[in-house]
Amino acid sequence: MKRMFLSGNEAVAYGAIDAGCRFYAGYPITPSSEIMHMMAKLLPEAGGVFIQAEDELAAINMIIGASWAGLKSMAATSGPGFSLMQEGIGYAVMTETPLVIVDVMRAGPATGQATKAAQGDLMQTRWGRHGDQYLVVLAPESPQEAYDLIIEAFNISESLRTPVVFLMDEFIGHGREVVFRKEPGEIKLVERRRSSDHEPLFGSDDPRIPPPMPRLGEGYYVLVTGSTHNEYGYRDVHSFETHYKLVRRLKEKIWGNIDKVFKYEVIGDPGRAEKAIVCFGSTCRSAKEAVMGLDNVLLIRLITLWPLNYDLLRELLSNVRLVVVPELSLGQLIYDVQQVIDSGIKVVGVNKVGGGVPIYPSEIKKALEV
Amino acid sequence: MIKHEHLSLKYMRREVLPTAFCPGCYNGIVMNALFQAFEELGIYDLRKYVFVSGIGCSSWIPSPYIKADSLHTLHGRAIPVATGVKLANPELEVIVIGGDGDLASIGGNHLLHAARRNMDLVVIMINNLVYGMTRGQAAPTTPKGMVTPTTPYGNPEEPMDVARLIANTNANYVARWCVSQYLFLKNSFKKVLGEIKRGFRFIEVYAPCTTFVIRRENKTPGQKLKELMNTCIGYEKWEKLPAEERTKHIPTGVFREEDKPGFLDNYKQLIARLKR
Amino acid sequence: MFKIAYLGRGGQGIVFAATLTAEALYEKGYYVAQLQNYGASVRGGSVLGYVVADHEPIKNPFIEEFDIIVVLHEEGLKRWKRLVEKSKKIILDKKLVKTNIPGAIKAPLSTIAEKEGVYQALNIVAVGAVFSILDIEGIDKVIDKLLQKRKNYEVNKKAYMIGKRSFQHHNH
Repeated sequence: MKRMFLSGNEAVAYGAIDAGCRFYAGYPITPSSEIMHMMAKLLPEAGGVFIQAEDELAAINMIIGASWAGLKSMAATSGPGFSLMQEGIGYAVMTETPLVIVDVMRAGPATGQATKAAQGDLMQTRWGRHGDQYLVVLAPESPQEAYDLIIEAFNISESLRTPVVFLMDEFIGHGREVVFRKEPGEIKLVERRRSSDHEPLFGSDDPRIPPPMPRLGEGYYVLVTGSTHNEYGYRDVHSFETHYKLVRRLKEKIWGNIDKVFKYEVIGDPGRAEKAIVCFGSTCRSAKEAVMGLDNVLLIRLITLWPLNYDLLRELLSNVRLVVVPELSLGQLIYDVQQVIDSGIKVVGVNKVGGGVPIYPSEIKKALEV
Repeated sequence: MIKHEHLSLKYMRREVLPTAFCPGCYNGIVMNALFQAFEELGIYDLRKYVFVSGIGCSSWIPSPYIKADSLHTLHGRAIPVATGVKLANPELEVIVIGGDGDLASIGGNHLLHAARRNMDLVVIMINNLVYGMTRGQAAPTTPKGMVTPTTPYGNPEEPMDVARLIANTNANYVARWCVSQYLFLKNSFKKVLGEIKRGFRFIEVYAPCTTFVIRRENKTPGQKLKELMNTCIGYEKWEKLPAEERTKHIPTGVFREEDKPGFLDNYKQLIARLKR
Repeated sequence: MFKIAYLGRGGQGIVFAATLTAEALYEKGYYVAQLQNYGASVRGGSVLGYVVADHEPIKNPFIEEFDIIVVLHEEGLKRWKRLVEKSKKIILDKKLVKTNIPGAIKAPLSTIAEKEGVYQALNIVAVGAVFSILDIEGIDKVIDKLLQKRKNYEVNKKAYMIGKRSFQHHNH
């Protein structure tokens, strides 16, 4: 373990390197640029490749190509750039390409407030692409967790052959804290399953087990396409069966592995709590201070934002009469909470966005007093 | 009796033949020229070649017809995907095949920047003058005045001369040939696959769409091919023509030819400097 | 636990003041969190930089009440007045901050800095002032080490020492 003083953005870069990421393509954008700066410095030293793309469309597609050529790949961006990447992310879902995409959220829409923290991209991480598509979204609450969780993001992307969106906000991205960086021996790394002969590369009997993925150039004559394809990669843009089977499998690959990918933290006793807070990201730091000394409040911090374990959330919230959802947006996570609670239970949002002002513990406390 | 097989077949996925291209489509000429180049270079197996394409008729050439690794990507994004492949594994020879709409319109920015970087890619742009796959709408290469579904009163815009545009960048090799200039085309393929093996190598193939250009002119692909033999002339000759004659002809030839270090050589140098 | 904030205007080096404070405390073995709120990377506009340090991991870096806040420009006060008023010890630059806040200390930091020829390092004077109040053993040595790694060492070092002395003098 090495003790360091890092911003969340820097921690992400170190974590990515330690996770084995060896390819980065990106385009400068506030407040995520420091990830790019660090990767530009660290990757050549680590024997990897860094390239500054001409735009975010290029960046996302470059990392798709690099991933198929066999390297763990990442791109980082913020709101407007994340919007531009959506089509590429959809392609990565369709072609089952392991990638990690970091979105350091700022206040939007459009250019919004480039230097100010927000959490308004939550729904976009889930639903930003057209069509039936599912991926994994992870959200750390601090630079230390950004470091640890980005390694997990790579592991999930490799084991499920899926893009993983890593959702941070400006407070975590630019805030500096003490981070303990692990030594190589202390890190458990997962690698994508390589091909064995005759196994289809785009299909599996058990949808929860992703098909193997060869590197290009190994003689598999791989056919990769963003069009609907059968399990061998051949395009089939007409049949109902092929399309339905494909999108069902891609959905089941994510939701069927929810036990493996759904991470959360609970503070308090669900049996005794009368009130609850549901939060994600940096906002949870204030929430944790707000619940100190309150034994009737349950705090649920979602680390995995997608797929979301609605059953578990329903169970945890089954005894409370009030749920407070603090968000650096006008409210998006609140819809998830409303979905799992009975109509008689009060749900209160603490919503604040713009100006770079955090939600303070006192504001959450006040909402709990309702 | 000895059965002679067409030379192209060994480079193709037989199980997906015949191709979905329209009868008379010039894509076949381009494919044969490319495969003949491979054969003449003694390259019989394409397992170390990766083909990357976008969306459009010519993007279907590698996916699924060529027996090699292929990535059929989003509309316009073949070059960035190819860039990622090449940088992640420089051992692979990466070839992009796409149309004018795919590479010069929606993907135009990537084309310019890959050329600026002298990225180590071969890019073959088949210019069929329209968006053939979606019924022949105007493309950035459509001649002024041409009637298409999106220019029902005639195209009001000037077309883009893609090869000469790229010739003004940092690319190692830029050429344009008409499908009627088969041997030149094949030799250009041989040049970029066998001789100049680094940097950005761009070959435009002038190949009007049989269905949405040639048929609209009430011609057959064969008649058009004969006509192209007169339309397409060497650019030195073209430059000497009076202005009104120029618009009736397509200047062809090799516009740029160098063998300077590409992006990868420069990147490797950077790494070597770091290690010192 | 220490909760220290610097408030001023773009171009005054507020973020660097927070960085220096944070890195010094980090070097002394503390758990540290450093955050800032600033406009675009151009001059002007308010800038707030702050540091939380503790012997335990920092639970929450979003601070509502600071132990010490140094305000170096009126511009910053316009936006963050409520936050300033909640702080325990408020130091306002006598010349650059016109607004009066009850209980605040008016310190002639910029006047002395100007007189001593280190006006461009007013931010470091502020850091010196903060550490004269906090009085952490061996902190001067750590600050010196950190300043040595950066440009304008002589000016910065002088500014830091001025900050430490002048504030002590004012305080007594």
